[in-house]
Amino acid sequence: MENYEINQRNFEEEFTISPNGFLFDHVSGLTYTLNKTGLFILRRIGEKKNASEIVMEITEKFEVSQERANVDFQEFLVQAKEFGVL
Amino acid sequence: MKNLNVAITGLHAADSPAPGVPVARSILHEGKWEGKIIGLGYDSFDTGIYDKGLFDEIYLIPYPSEGEFNVLARIRQIHQKTKIDVLIPTLDAELNSFMRIRPELEEMGIKVLLPNDSSLKMRSKAVLSNFCEKYDIPFPRTKVIFDYAGISQAIEDFGFPIVVKGSFYDAYIAYSYNEAVIYFNKISSVWGLPIVVQEMIKGEEYDVCCLSDFHGKVIGKVPMRKLRLTPKGKAWAGVTILDKELLELSDKILERIHWNGPCELEFLKNEKNGKYYLIEINPRFPAWIYLSAGAGTNLPYTAVRIISGEHVEPLAPCKSGVIFVRHATDMICPLDYLESLTTKGELIFNKSEEKEL
Repeated sequence: MENYEINQRNFEEEFTISPNGFLFDHVSGLTYTLNKTGLFILRRIGEKKNASEIVMEITEKFEVSQERANVDFQEFLVQAKEFGVL
Repeated sequence: MKNLNVAITGLHAADSPAPGVPVARSILHEGKWEGKIIGLGYDSFDTGIYDKGLFDEIYLIPYPSEGEFNVLARIRQIHQKTKIDVLIPTLDAELNSFMRIRPELEEMGIKVLLPNDSSLKMRSKAVLSNFCEKYDIPFPRTKVIFDYAGISQAIEDFGFPIVVKGSFYDAYIAYSYNEAVIYFNKISSVWGLPIVVQEMIKGEEYDVCCLSDFHGKVIGKVPMRKLRLTPKGKAWAGVTILDKELLELSDKILERIHWNGPCELEFLKNEKNGKYYLIEINPRFPAWIYLSAGAGTNLPYTAVRIISGEHVEPLAPCKSGVIFVRHATDMICPLDYLESLTTKGELIFNKSEEKEL
């Protein structure tokens, strides 16, 4: 599995993420609401985990196939990049 | 410093709120103020007058259109009655008057922190585009027009929609020639000519309130993203942010314009290219300035420190993620207030003997 490429943003300084999935971008001032999967993925990205690790963890946490987990992960990346979060 | 008497103008906080009330609140935010907070209003129905507990004394002063001689005479009269140490004008339209009477105010012992003539001219809506072009600051394409022919030319160059603005206040978005003509007439009948026409840039709105000292050194900045707007485009809710790009651009602008005192830089972040475009520079505190106190970078309070002669080092960046939401409320007041304002042009609050309403 290929790893992902994202803008180098400082997660600790630039974002506030609540346990409920409320995300505040301190640079743009924009807010987002993440679902459980999105929140799970973003936290793993913040921990600098690679794509294989994240997909594997999604598979275990949400009890879905690896294929489904990969699709969810890729879709999240596309959306987050589109919104300028990643 | 807290024993100074501070006079503040711009007390009408209605649909297009003036900054006087939040400036007073910001000063009081830092703990007990031993001096007086004096409100200078233009009309007995300036709403901030009735905000009990905020001002110690209120005095009505003549509108700037009545000439600076009359404004000065009234301030002299007030100063004889109750000493004013610091005066903070908060309205665009009165700034020229106060700049012209600055020597007389200083002679009386009233200290002010105002921009100089050339800085003020440089930020005027009619010439701001020249300033931006000179210093390579992104700015919407702009035309300064005096007649309907100018509208046609602007439409030809920019297409629709266009933004039609007055020299001092008011801005409307026009989607047709006829609409643009209506706004041209509406604005020019109140604020006169010229009219400024700009291309419309779509994007999120951001403001940065800045404070520079007497030497033009930037002492504090509070960047804010507007979260909610009124139909007039005024921020009704906002959140502090921390975007280095925006702060660096603000520094560049302030450095080039050699500003003294407070100002508000208004930006649009172009949704097409992500760049910040400077829309306006307002030569005063904005109406949302109380947010600066909430975010730990209290600019009005710092302004009083600077004006009083204290050496102030640049402040630490404000806390990001602090929200303000404006809230309209009704205040109940005794008839005595209106009677005093109408007959004497003043209202002295006796805070220890307030009537039960």
